[in-house]
Amino acid sequence: MASATGITQKEELAFRHNTLNNKQLSAQDREALIRSHLPPEPINVSHSSSPSPAPSSPSRSKRSRSRSNKPKAGPVRSFVYFIVYQIIALIFSIFFRFRRSWRLFWYKFRSVMGHHHRSPEWIVSDVKNLEQIPKHLSVVLDYHEDDQDQGTAGLEGLVNDVCEIAAWTAAAGIPFLSVYEPTGVLKNYHTQTYAAIQQTLETYFGSRRRPTLTVKAPHMTSYSPPGTPSSDPTENGSTTSRPHLTVLLLSELDGRDTIVDLTVTLAQMAQKGDVRIDQIDANLIDAELNDHVSTEPDLLILFSPTVVLKGYPPWQLRLTEIFHLPDNKGVNYQVFLQALKKFGKAEFRIGR
Amino acid sequence: MASLHKHGISKWIASSPPIAWTVRQLRELLIGALRQGPIPQHVAFVMDGNRRFAREQHIETVEGHNMGFEALARILEVCYKAGVKVVTIYAFSIENFKRSKHEVDALMAMAKLKLLQLSEHGALLDRYGASIRILGQRELVKADVIEAIDKAVAMTAHNKRTVLNVCFPYTSRDEITTAVRSTVEQFNTPIDIVQTPSKRTFSESHITQHIRKQMVGEDKDGPPSQDASRSASPAAKSSGESQSSATSTAINSSEKDETPTTGPTYPDPETITVETLNNNMLTAGAPPLDLLVRTSGVERLSDFMLWQSHENTSIVFLKCLWPEFDLWHFLPVLVEWQWQKKKLLEQQRSRGIKSD
Repeated sequence: MASATGITQKEELAFRHNTLNNKQLSAQDREALIRSHLPPEPINVSHSSSPSPAPSSPSRSKRSRSRSNKPKAGPVRSFVYFIVYQIIALIFSIFFRFRRSWRLFWYKFRSVMGHHHRSPEWIVSDVKNLEQIPKHLSVVLDYHEDDQDQGTAGLEGLVNDVCEIAAWTAAAGIPFLSVYEPTGVLKNYHTQTYAAIQQTLETYFGSRRRPTLTVKAPHMTSYSPPGTPSSDPTENGSTTSRPHLTVLLLSELDGRDTIVDLTVTLAQMAQKGDVRIDQIDANLIDAELNDHVSTEPDLLILFSPTVVLKGYPPWQLRLTEIFHLPDNKGVNYQVFLQALKKFGKAEFRIGR
Repeated sequence: MASLHKHGISKWIASSPPIAWTVRQLRELLIGALRQGPIPQHVAFVMDGNRRFAREQHIETVEGHNMGFEALARILEVCYKAGVKVVTIYAFSIENFKRSKHEVDALMAMAKLKLLQLSEHGALLDRYGASIRILGQRELVKADVIEAIDKAVAMTAHNKRTVLNVCFPYTSRDEITTAVRSTVEQFNTPIDIVQTPSKRTFSESHITQHIRKQMVGEDKDGPPSQDASRSASPAAKSSGESQSSATSTAINSSEKDETPTTGPTYPDPETITVETLNNNMLTAGAPPLDLLVRTSGVERLSDFMLWQSHENTSIVFLKCLWPEFDLWHFLPVLVEWQWQKKKLLEQQRSRGIKSD
């Protein structure tokens, strides 16, 4: 299959080494070789009539003429194309549907077999063999206004998803979770989200071992626990062994718009003379965005069937490992676990 | 996957002239068929896996890159014949300079050679209507390569139909930084010198000029006086804001031609939008990125097209290595993209009906 390029051996060698029968090719030779591969266009005719190709100065009149009578396939040919297109579309659509059902069945099977039973120990044993665990995990969630696809719709479904993911994250020993949801509806229910996550953590860990929690969002004061007295001593000294989980809520506004905001601020400062143009560099932008929005996540999990980022903060995605299960729809533990497993094996090379 | 050396016979058969001709016709047929559906307007490729391919085939790294270039030529042909308007390829990252000097030098030499060869075939490129653009940090490239780049770019600049963006010393963060910086620079230039599109058609200074003209009773043309005001503005800029009150009083007393009312007037930074930054990106003017393909199974963007791909771009990660990449790998990707596109349209339509 790999060699089905439609190129003969002679042509391939000529292309690769720029020689034909051990002779260096000139520009004309190459053009002669490649003639049969060129797109069929009217300009073809005008060129064969004038055998001296003028590479440096393509005459304008020729091109304008070729543009006027556009490449038009004959009716038979275009009919054949149409038929073939329909056949391909049909075959693939059947194939895609089958593949999706098979995958969904397989995911379902795995999720039943590998359920976490809402117990952190189970999750710990799932991830304990991994070589590395991300320090900063990020997830992309969707806010469905109507439940056309599944039961988890509306704000309740969304909060529910966040809670579950937060509990898994805490159990896996990841200290930082950022939740991206384009509309930013969660930011409006800051305290409620906090309470809900708190409660879920309690059902997972029990009130004794429950990790401490901070929920924050860019441009908002972080919501730290008023009702957990133990959070203060942890910050002073390591008196308690409770892990801490930080949940960061991100929305579409934290993406491109924030970079625009930063530009506006910089422009204002530059006009006042507070900042010089040459002071604006990647480090400055990186520092600002890190402080005000989010750091670069190590792993991004998508629960959508395809990889579409939906406006995720672009600057932060530089080397982030992106994970999705094809055709999967909706939050479930298997996606989370597969992502961590893949990440555990991934090697990181800067500069490819 | 048929490897390079092992399947000598099947390869020999596949590349014998009659078979090659048939395969070529089949390819044309498939591409022509694909054209019947929606086609992504802007496609980006991360050409990953050349080195691993070389390692697996026991050939030199440089030869792997050469094979990668052949794959690129094949896929560009497919793209342009299928009707893609803009193709963006990640040829060389700024981070790649960290690789061994031997490899970097070889890559640079290859880029130069291919660009120079390309320059010899201007007429053929015209047939594809393709213009080449090099995106990235030019300062990092040696002078002789720059020369080859400029030659190829200049020669194809008149082509408008399709574009090949070659990201050559490029990282996306660098691109965003440059865009931010040049936006700040634009908004740090007084309005009168650079004609930044302002929202209002009528400027106050222009009206006062006219009033004054009427008072004096002159009947000169507008443009020369406007020029005078424009050339006068740098002086006003240097004089700073402290003088602005003085000049405004000067206007009240209607003295001489000290027309510019205030000191440096800057465009309002609040008018900066996503569009402003878009226009300052290296891909300015290109349609939004529809499809991004990365080969060799690495599921990361690696500092490529961060700004462009983070919204509605379909990102596809493929297992195959770049030198193996061909129509046969690209076809399913394209068909799936078309399928999703059609589903999306259907959804939108049904939603539109619902809302009505």
